[in-house]
Amino acid sequence: MIPVDVAGLTKIYVDQSRGEVRAVDDISFACQPGEIFGLLGANGAGKTTTLRMLSTILAPSAGRAAVMGHDVATAPEHVRRSLGFYSASTALYPRLTGRETLEFFARINGFPEAAVAARVEALITRFGIGEYAGARVDTLSQGMKQKVSIARTVAHDPPVLIFDEPSVGLDVLNALEMQKVIGELRDDGKTIIFSTHIMSEAERLCDRIAIIHRGRIHACGTLAELRAATGRHYLEDIFVHYVEQAGAAPTP
Amino acid sequence: MSPLLTLYRFEVRSALRERSIVINSILLPILLYPGLMWLMFTGISFVRGQTDDMASRIVVSGPLEAHAPLDRALRQDRRFQIVDPAGEDAAALRAGALDARLELSVHPVAALPGNLQALVVYDGSHERSSAARQRLVEVLEQYRDLQIRTETLARGVAARDWAGFLVEGRNVASERDMGGFLLGLMLPLMFVVMVAVGCFYPAIDTTAGERERGTWETLMTTSASRTSIVVAKYLYVATFGCVAGLLNVAAMALTMRTIVGQLAGGAVALDFSVRPEALPVLAAGAVLLSAFIAAGMMVFASFARTFREGQSMITPFYLLVLLPTVFLSSRGTAFSPALAAIPVVNVALVIRDALSGVFQWPLIGITVAVTLAAIAGLLRLAAAIVAAEAVVAGSYSGTLATFVRGLFGRAAPAPKETAR
Repeated sequence: MIPVDVAGLTKIYVDQSRGEVRAVDDISFACQPGEIFGLLGANGAGKTTTLRMLSTILAPSAGRAAVMGHDVATAPEHVRRSLGFYSASTALYPRLTGRETLEFFARINGFPEAAVAARVEALITRFGIGEYAGARVDTLSQGMKQKVSIARTVAHDPPVLIFDEPSVGLDVLNALEMQKVIGELRDDGKTIIFSTHIMSEAERLCDRIAIIHRGRIHACGTLAELRAATGRHYLEDIFVHYVEQAGAAPTP
Repeated sequence: MSPLLTLYRFEVRSALRERSIVINSILLPILLYPGLMWLMFTGISFVRGQTDDMASRIVVSGPLEAHAPLDRALRQDRRFQIVDPAGEDAAALRAGALDARLELSVHPVAALPGNLQALVVYDGSHERSSAARQRLVEVLEQYRDLQIRTETLARGVAARDWAGFLVEGRNVASERDMGGFLLGLMLPLMFVVMVAVGCFYPAIDTTAGERERGTWETLMTTSASRTSIVVAKYLYVATFGCVAGLLNVAAMALTMRTIVGQLAGGAVALDFSVRPEALPVLAAGAVLLSAFIAAGMMVFASFARTFREGQSMITPFYLLVLLPTVFLSSRGTAFSPALAAIPVVNVALVIRDALSGVFQWPLIGITVAVTLAAIAGLLRLAAAIVAAEAVVAGSYSGTLATFVRGLFGRAAPAPKETAR
């Protein structure tokens, strides 16, 4: 089974001032198990809209997408149960403790009740939350909140993980820690979709990269394939090449 | 554990850790009105005690020596201190140096030689002066009664016969009836207020608060269905409203029994215990009222993106809920089919009647039907709001009115697409 299968996915908004806006325009891709699939694009390129459609927050205007064989349009709850979604806008509940947060997200996402306690303890150990597991989230440091946040994303052990610009707002050390954890999750066999506009992150982490600009995917492949196709070495140059080829200047 | 129960428990647990919710939905209903009442009566008792302990400084002018019993009564009564007139009495009264002046004179059309005319001059804007007047009137009336008895007896007529006819009253209401009546006057109004206060902060916290904290999207990406999320949030708000209302009823009943009973000092026989047959009606009323107010507040708060916006959006509904309860302060308001069709007022009147031992079942039936229909309508609207993609994604910038118009296709942009 292909963990994530997207075909012709489109999202059209009707904006009062701009009229019809194609935020995502007929994109297709598939992700394999144990792979980090990068969506690389400037701000406003359509990355978040794509990921929101995959996580069923937004409904596609056209096309289809399936996560672990579940269609986002017809089986949204199964889709959400099969994935963990992390972004800068998915905050933690400040009044819960770290442990309560993990218990809640494991339960609400359908993790077997009998195994919740053991799962939570395993996550606390794995992410080094132990000492702070009983403290309220609003009293934790930024780094510790980040750990709890990643742990809650994987609390129900989903096969697919979405990280939407996860390093936004993090300092260098926390951003590197985030990259390390994402790499480990890939090693665990998770399928990971990772969106970013930071070239170095994509270069370091992604097994395959899709370059997205103005709602369309202009190239998709491994870094080596993209280098070979463009004759450029650095991902930044590759990105600019495709954006220019698309007939538009990159968004600053 | 079902997602609904998990969400509900999570909402309640989280709310119990929020100071503003605990204060407004739990502590305020228990402490506010009993506290206010205690403060008010303590204040009244204090002022009264201060006045009672003070001797009234009075000046007496006129032929007091001709009325020995009155003279004796005034001089022996420790509540009075007869002082010598010093300067202008009116000025002394206004300045508070003197409490009252008693001017005695011969009655201009006296039928009997001993008839007397008494004028009490006082300053009504001074508590102490008013008390002096009251004390003087009391002594004068006793002296008048004495005179009437003496004169009538001298003429061979008993005072009772002289009175002509007697007016007496007999209250057939029991102590419990009286207590129920008084509870019925106050409790429904306070009950509505407290349910509304109890729902207010939870409704904002669970909608606008989620958005402000950035947890809305986190919740929307869980596998819980949108219906479960709405229902759990709704039940949480309704629970806090219901608890606030019931705690307030209990606190008020207890306060009335202890504080008001003590203040009455046995002068009025009152029993503030709630009739057992009223308890199921009270409980059902509490559930209906909190269910309606919770649904309304959640609908109004659904579009708010910050706590402050939520407060602004809910306040009109809050006032709308409280406005009809003005009817309840009128003692003569009779429960009618027309009033039974008005949400909130109908439940409050059912509660009022139940406290007095009156159960008008057809009107109670109308009340239940109307309230349930209103709740169903509001919940359908809430479901439509949460199903709207723009609302779920947090990008909707319109108001409830815009949204409702959009639902009926009369406004753009309407939330046509839905997220599942």
